[in-house]
Amino acid sequence: MTAVMISDNLSGERTKFELECRDLGYGYNKLKMVYDHVNLKTYENELVAIVGPTGCGKSTLIRNLGYLVAPTKGQVFLNGKEIKKPSAKISLIHQSIATFPWMTALENVKLSLISKKIDHDESDRISREMMELVGLTGFEDYYPKEMSGGMRQKIAIARALAASPEVLLMDEPFVHLDELTASSMRKEVYDLVFNPETSLKSAILVSHNLQEVVQLADRIYVMNGTPATLVDEIRVNIPRPRSQRDIVFFDYVDRLYKELNTNTNSK
Amino acid sequence: MDVLIIALATAATIGRILVLIALSVLSGWGLAYLAVKSRKFENAYVPFVNVLESIPVIAFLPIVLLVFIQGLGGFWGVEVAADFLVFDAVSWNVWIGAYQAFKTVPEHLLDVTENYDFSFGRKMWKLYIPHSIPRVTSNLFSSFADAFFYITVSEVFTVGVTTYQTFGIGTLITNFVKQSNFIGVYYSLVFIAIGVAIVTGALNILSRRSVAKYGVDSTFEIKRHTHWSGRHFRAVDVFRLRTRYLSRYARKLTHPAHRGGFEGEHGPPTPIIHIMKVALKSLTFCMGIVLIIYLAYSSMLIAFAVPQKEWQAFLTSTPYLLYSMGADYLRVIVVTLAALALALTLGYLLATHHKASMTLAPIVQAVSAFPAPTYFPLVFIATYPLFSATLPPAYSTEIYVFTLGFLSCFYYVFFDFWIGVQAIPTQFWEVMRNYELSWGTKMRRIIIPGTFPYLVTGISSTINSAWAGIEIGEFWPNIDGTHSLEVRDGMMKYIGLNMSTGNVANAAWVSLLFAIVVAIYGIVFTRNLMDLARKKYVVEEGVYAA
Repeated sequence: MTAVMISDNLSGERTKFELECRDLGYGYNKLKMVYDHVNLKTYENELVAIVGPTGCGKSTLIRNLGYLVAPTKGQVFLNGKEIKKPSAKISLIHQSIATFPWMTALENVKLSLISKKIDHDESDRISREMMELVGLTGFEDYYPKEMSGGMRQKIAIARALAASPEVLLMDEPFVHLDELTASSMRKEVYDLVFNPETSLKSAILVSHNLQEVVQLADRIYVMNGTPATLVDEIRVNIPRPRSQRDIVFFDYVDRLYKELNTNTNSK
Repeated sequence: MDVLIIALATAATIGRILVLIALSVLSGWGLAYLAVKSRKFENAYVPFVNVLESIPVIAFLPIVLLVFIQGLGGFWGVEVAADFLVFDAVSWNVWIGAYQAFKTVPEHLLDVTENYDFSFGRKMWKLYIPHSIPRVTSNLFSSFADAFFYITVSEVFTVGVTTYQTFGIGTLITNFVKQSNFIGVYYSLVFIAIGVAIVTGALNILSRRSVAKYGVDSTFEIKRHTHWSGRHFRAVDVFRLRTRYLSRYARKLTHPAHRGGFEGEHGPPTPIIHIMKVALKSLTFCMGIVLIIYLAYSSMLIAFAVPQKEWQAFLTSTPYLLYSMGADYLRVIVVTLAALALALTLGYLLATHHKASMTLAPIVQAVSAFPAPTYFPLVFIATYPLFSATLPPAYSTEIYVFTLGFLSCFYYVFFDFWIGVQAIPTQFWEVMRNYELSWGTKMRRIIIPGTFPYLVTGISSTINSAWAGIEIGEFWPNIDGTHSLEVRDGMMKYIGLNMSTGNVANAAWVSLLFAIVVAIYGIVFTRNLMDLARKKYVVEEGVYAA
């Protein structure tokens, strides 16, 4: 018998959602869709995860949600308003850490503020504030190649946060980091997402690390099939801070594992 | 009209150019490796290539005469002489491109090859050559274009009273012009256009595939030849077997685990490795010394060709020559800035818009590959009445010189930048889109720094190659039968004028001055900027996967 009650009444008590997509699909042509019929929502103060096997289109979906890659079909809404082009209100953190080698850490962070046309001092202040938030004070003048992988990812996170986004999209942001660094980064990212000092309202995390998503997410969308669809939506009702040794934690991981396995096998 | 002859001549010329391009790529890889491994060799190699790239094809005639025509003689003497002149047109930018690519190999990839003790062959095959392919490919456009630009002076040339020619479309066009057979010229241009279209189309596909496969996280999808015939796979298999055999042999010679005296993965080198390393070091050192001696010897030959009594006259004329050189540098700077402006606008458009690239790129390639000296008199005839009626003569002459200079070199920086933009990783484009950066901001902060190594190569080749176009434009007697194109002051005009009147000594003196300036420029500009590119502007190091 399972030791946890997993609520399927997913959106009963919440009404204000941030990012929403309706009947989203992406394919190289209409006959060869990577994923299709995806409907998802994120609510205020919520971290949503998307899990699925490798190659099911998770990274493409997250790029479609930010309109960095235009979807083949469907619509994306931010605060009820349809978006048709990329916006700094939806910031993406990449799986492969993207920092510009010819810019210092501070200049990398400032990059996201350029289009906002704010004065130099203000841009400097915000960038330093965000670097402090991610724990990079003192490293402003370092070049990325002089920093570790974890520190580079922190630059990318500070850059994303400096743009004052409402939604943060994270495409397996910890996959290239060692477990110790990844573990501390997960905690820091969670604290940042719900830190009142940031503009963030919600975040979407794409991952195939089941422990990671149960650790961080309030809700989990399960993606599977060919073309992939959202095959389940699970609310994680574990009080925080969550422990991976908790039996309830194991149950969630186990359920996700079965979901992915069942759907993969039934293809 | 012998259309078949024209077709065969076009095919012969294209075949000649492609073989020589392949030769320049192979030699470029070897020399680039020596340059990045030995600072001494690099210090000699970079100015050497810059000097040779800057000296127009025609300046090679005495060497060609001596070494090939008199040495080999007969059909092969002329053929090899023509091949050498074509090689001169195609090789230098490929060499600089390979050097630039080898110089900017990402450090973490270099660490991998050092870590696993890769032999020379493995390092080349697994790292240096694959990393250089997008940049070498970008230079193939320029090389092909440059070969055609000078084809009429490469395949047929006159020394003294004797004209030498080899079979090809350049020779045919020259003969048609002499016979006033303009129908023949037009047919030849049509066949060149067809040949250029086919080759540049193939190069287009090659460049996209090379960027897709060898660029780091570029936006292009890797194409696989799943539809190719079994014969292709068999050919590949045979090739793989051969390379595998060679690799095994190389491993036996060089890899610690495959050597007789196995001393563990990181054990001290065995005598054979030590000997090979010493041999390689000695080889690079010797090549550097040979290059320096060659440069010194060539300079001395030029200097001693001048009779002693004329030294005073030369020294007296030096201030004016330096002034003329300054005037020409000003022309080169204007041409380079115009080429750079075109690259940053149209080149960027073509690199980021596939449909525009499919239609406009062949036009740019055709313009660059068409030999301007063959059609420029027609342009002159069409425009001279307008210019002479509206502009002072000096201004209209400068416009023609600028046009010829521009046509002779704009494509270097254009194609290098084009490929450089395509090689920018996807993640960088997404960051630019995500933060809604304007075109100016993107250019200033990301695109130009991200393509910096490509731009250094392109600008360097553009500057070096502008001289040849300017040389043609500054002194062109009887361009349309009645008018001559001649600037008031210009070093290239001075060289052309003295060569045409048989005053080789004067031409040699200014050439020596010019070579010294170009060598200094090679060290100050090309090598130092390349060092900077290696330290700071390796775009591949920006995408980090720990």
